[in-house]
Amino acid sequence: MAILPTNLARVSNLLRTSVATSSMTKTQRMLLEVQNQLTTGQRINKPSDDPGDGAIIQQLQKTLEKRQGYLDNISSAKNTLSSVDTSLEGLTDLLRQATQIASANVGSDVTADARTSAAALIDNLYNQSISFGNTQFQGTYIYGGDRSDKQPFVTASNGGVKFVGTNNVLQNTFDDNMVRPFMVSGDEVFGTATGTKVGSNNLSPAITTATRLDALGGATAAGVYKGQIKITNGAANATIDLSSADSIGDVITRINAATGTTDVTAAIAPDGMSLALTAGSGAFSVTEVGGASTARDLGIRQNNPVASLDGADVKAKVTPLTLMSSIFGGGGVDASGLAITNGSSTATVTYTGPITVEAFLNQINAADVGVHAQINAAGTGLEIVNLVAGTELRIGENGGNTATQLGIRTMSPTQQLSELNNGKGVRTVPGADITVTRRDGTEFSVDLDGAATIGDVITKINTAAGSTMASFATTGNGIVMTDASVGPDTSFKVAAANFSSAGEDLGLNGLPATAGVITGKDVSPVSIAGVFTNLAKLRDALRTNDQRGITEASQGISEDLERVISVRGVTGARVQELEGREDRITDENLATQSLLSSLQDTDYTTAITQFSTLQSSLQASLRTTNTVANLSLMDFLS
Amino acid sequence: MSLTGALSIGKTALAVSQAQLQVVGNNIANAGNADYTRQTPKVSTSKDQQFSQNVFIGTGVQLDGIQRQIDEALQGRLRASVSDSNGADTEQLWMSRVESVLNELGDQDLSTQMSTFFNSWSNLASKPQDGALRQVVLQNGQTLADGFKDLKSKFEDLRSDVADRLRALTDDADSLADQLGELNRQIVTAEGGSSGQAAGLRDQRDATLKKLSELVDVHSIEQPNGSLNVYIGSEPLVLHGTNRGLTLREDNVNGKINTVVVFADNKGEAKATTGQIGGLTVVRDAIDATTNRLNDLAKNVIFEVNKLHSSGQGTGGLTTTLGTNAVDDPALALNDPVTNLPFKPTSGSFVVHVKEKATGLVTSTLVKIDQDGLNGDDTTSNDLAADLSAVTGVAASIVGGKLKIDAASNAVEFSFSQDTSGTLAALGVNSFFTGDGAFDMNVDKKLQLDPSKLAAAKNGEPTDNQTARAIADLETTVLGALGGSTLKENYESLVNNVAVTAAASKSNAEASHVVQETLFNQREALSGVSMDEEAINLMRQQRAFQGASRLISVVNDLMDQIMGLVR
Repeated sequence: MAILPTNLARVSNLLRTSVATSSMTKTQRMLLEVQNQLTTGQRINKPSDDPGDGAIIQQLQKTLEKRQGYLDNISSAKNTLSSVDTSLEGLTDLLRQATQIASANVGSDVTADARTSAAALIDNLYNQSISFGNTQFQGTYIYGGDRSDKQPFVTASNGGVKFVGTNNVLQNTFDDNMVRPFMVSGDEVFGTATGTKVGSNNLSPAITTATRLDALGGATAAGVYKGQIKITNGAANATIDLSSADSIGDVITRINAATGTTDVTAAIAPDGMSLALTAGSGAFSVTEVGGASTARDLGIRQNNPVASLDGADVKAKVTPLTLMSSIFGGGGVDASGLAITNGSSTATVTYTGPITVEAFLNQINAADVGVHAQINAAGTGLEIVNLVAGTELRIGENGGNTATQLGIRTMSPTQQLSELNNGKGVRTVPGADITVTRRDGTEFSVDLDGAATIGDVITKINTAAGSTMASFATTGNGIVMTDASVGPDTSFKVAAANFSSAGEDLGLNGLPATAGVITGKDVSPVSIAGVFTNLAKLRDALRTNDQRGITEASQGISEDLERVISVRGVTGARVQELEGREDRITDENLATQSLLSSLQDTDYTTAITQFSTLQSSLQASLRTTNTVANLSLMDFLS
Repeated sequence: MSLTGALSIGKTALAVSQAQLQVVGNNIANAGNADYTRQTPKVSTSKDQQFSQNVFIGTGVQLDGIQRQIDEALQGRLRASVSDSNGADTEQLWMSRVESVLNELGDQDLSTQMSTFFNSWSNLASKPQDGALRQVVLQNGQTLADGFKDLKSKFEDLRSDVADRLRALTDDADSLADQLGELNRQIVTAEGGSSGQAAGLRDQRDATLKKLSELVDVHSIEQPNGSLNVYIGSEPLVLHGTNRGLTLREDNVNGKINTVVVFADNKGEAKATTGQIGGLTVVRDAIDATTNRLNDLAKNVIFEVNKLHSSGQGTGGLTTTLGTNAVDDPALALNDPVTNLPFKPTSGSFVVHVKEKATGLVTSTLVKIDQDGLNGDDTTSNDLAADLSAVTGVAASIVGGKLKIDAASNAVEFSFSQDTSGTLAALGVNSFFTGDGAFDMNVDKKLQLDPSKLAAAKNGEPTDNQTARAIADLETTVLGALGGSTLKENYESLVNNVAVTAAASKSNAEASHVVQETLFNQREALSGVSMDEEAINLMRQQRAFQGASRLISVVNDLMDQIMGLVR
């Protein structure tokens, strides 16, 4: 509104009319704005109408859009999980059926014919279980992990069922900070994870200049935070920026670029496991910058000045790019190789030359024996996975030390007896367990009570023999008995004493000798327990009328059933969680929408009141203008 | 004293009344003229004559001059407020045009397109191998790219509109300055030597000056000879009768044409701070700032998405790929400014995986990128091609400045992962978006032709979704390149900036209008014509004229009588 001057001495015609015009224009403009609000129904049409509220509206709209994305994800995940649930339901029924058939056919009053027809039923169930494993939902194999474009369970060439999917279960985001898996792993459901030979040794690779910082565990196993460090040597100091450093080589280069100032040089320590810093003269300290943990993670934090520093082990992880020769602090791995047997397939895997871990694993995987060699999740060692349910995997030496060094030999002298024979261990009896007959006809007995490891067994045999007769195989796996005496090989045997099963459990009984050597069996295979193995065992036991086999298989199937039920429970809980979240998001959307509406929409009451006020104001000014503008002295002069 | 004295008194009275009537008439005639300054006649008593020893007698009235009722200081303030309000109006008008280009708070704005794009990646993560979902991602990506291009081109259009308007206004200002010079000369000639004022010409000059103030903020200093010197800032525009002239100069700033208003004689900048020209300059700078921010945002979207995508894998491997960004000189380090890459790689490394199709076995090789500027061994494009060719199963070369990578035989395919240097994204290898900014942003044609190459996976498995999830999270990831804000926040602050500027210009305009009207009303109070006042003056002069005529008539009669005495 125009402000009329307070010292108004005279009022010119133009003054009068301009005041009237400007106030009319203003009123009309405000009327137009209110009209706009009424017709569009929105108080704020563009952010400048009210920048503060406009910014909030933008945020709210963004939030609604983001939540729509979450709702879509939840709906998709619910569908996938419900198809998982349906297939688990079917599998549960199938397993129950199998246990019922097993318990019905276990008695001694059951005929062989009955068992044969039962075996046919189980065979059917076996094939059905494979179909369950290959369930598809909208083109995805739900048990395939992140390889779900192909069937995860295929029939292996050497019998059994081979798992060719992965166990990487996909996750997705279902709300702010809510990331959940929406698949179930085939391993979990079908019990195929039991077939993994977990490497028992940490491979502790040495670092090279090419080792990436991302591949380091860091001195405190918390990874490496890439920040800056400060090296102080007496009066001189330098801040080294490592935030864009990618490898150990980069760290060394950058520290050495400041040698002119700090007189400190960096290099890889002689043991290959850490960094070493040396000062040309004086004593230096290495400190953090800005509360970061870079120096500590690299193992070189040193608050008190020293002349030289051998840093802490940076715990390099094993990656596909790690060189085999850098394992064990640079000591490398014996190149003699492995002897792998899986069911009826065998292969020998050796390596020559400077190869990476990946190349070595590729050789194992290319050997086509139904195994998958991989680096374990923590990046500390290797694992060999038996992919085939129904075959037994055995990994032994090929004349050297490779398998033992890598910790993947399936049977070794240090192994506990309780682990042998798929956990059934070795059954001893009081008194002598085995009787060994030499080629020259002499015999001796060995009492194996008190032996805890295979090494103990070998020691006991050798003590009883009075010579080194027993040893452990250098190729493959097994206890080897060597007879130095003279005589026919047919005389050399190991037999049970006192009806003990120990010899059989150790794989020694009743084996023929060749050139004075009896090579024991590998009684410590890695095989998959699980649905397919147990169903196959049940079927085969029914076919051969093996009551003990039927009972063992039935026990295995009960364990499978429990596991499947528990997975189903977890899946159910997950679906419930998602549904709960979906409801909550929908409610939050309502609240957000109403807030949005209260900010953005026209308050019709206020607007209409404003409209009528302005209307009256406009009418008033029109009328007064008309009256006042028409008065003039000229009218009254004659 | 004689009768003739009385007659001459009557004569002066008549003349003065007539003159005053003329003045009144002039005022009445110009009552509706907003530029007119009311004139009042200055009359004073004529010099006394000595009648006798101690008696002085008056000789009538004389017209000393005609005064314009004007307050020059007030006029100056009024002109300044005119400049302010015109400048603010211009700003408001054009900023609301900028806002309507952005069209936020609607359904089709850029922020919705961004949300839709990132949401579609999140959806893809539910089922990475689904062909339909992949198509949706590609389409949404293209829509987003088109959105950026569209905004950029609309801003370009606005900018050229501003430049056109500036040209027109500068021409107007120039011709007004010419008129001022001309009026100055006329006033000097008309008033030359005398102490009176050529009121009409001065009114015209004031009007012209006011029109010029609408365009440019000027201030003026009157010279003793009556001409008015006009200054823009501290530089003179009109000196006496000469107009220095106003024209445009086109500066090339960072590849952009900036039109600047300059004096025609020395091409020095005429710094207009308000007025329509000043307002347009402010608007142009605001448009430039917004366009730059938009471009930066587009660049960051392109590079960050590409960095994640180029380290990802599709459902199958690659058999051939050609980077989309070319280097000007392949023998120079990749991040050398001469190579002209729109995005600069840093030191780091990436892994190349070569997969035998028959067995599925993968061999990985680390490729190191050194860009630390130390030891003179920074990786060049040629180095990179050589390093890649050294990998069994892969052959690489530089073709037309672009990196071309082929599988060495039909039996293998390759893929990349874990690029910590950003090189693959910088060269446009296995990337999602092409282009270096808001004006040429597109989704890579290769992906549109073969959606299976869309990289949703991170670990090499065909149906992994970690890259898809990472890209979906990009919208809310804090990025160092944006100074610690996220893409979402960055765009929101761009829009908010425009909104706040537009709102501020709106309230500025309102405030300056109030000031202008107040000053105008003050001026009117002093210089405006009041018809009633003039009517009274008219009556007064009428009576004065009548009185004078009566005097002359009476004196005439008396003179006749005296003449009658002489026969």
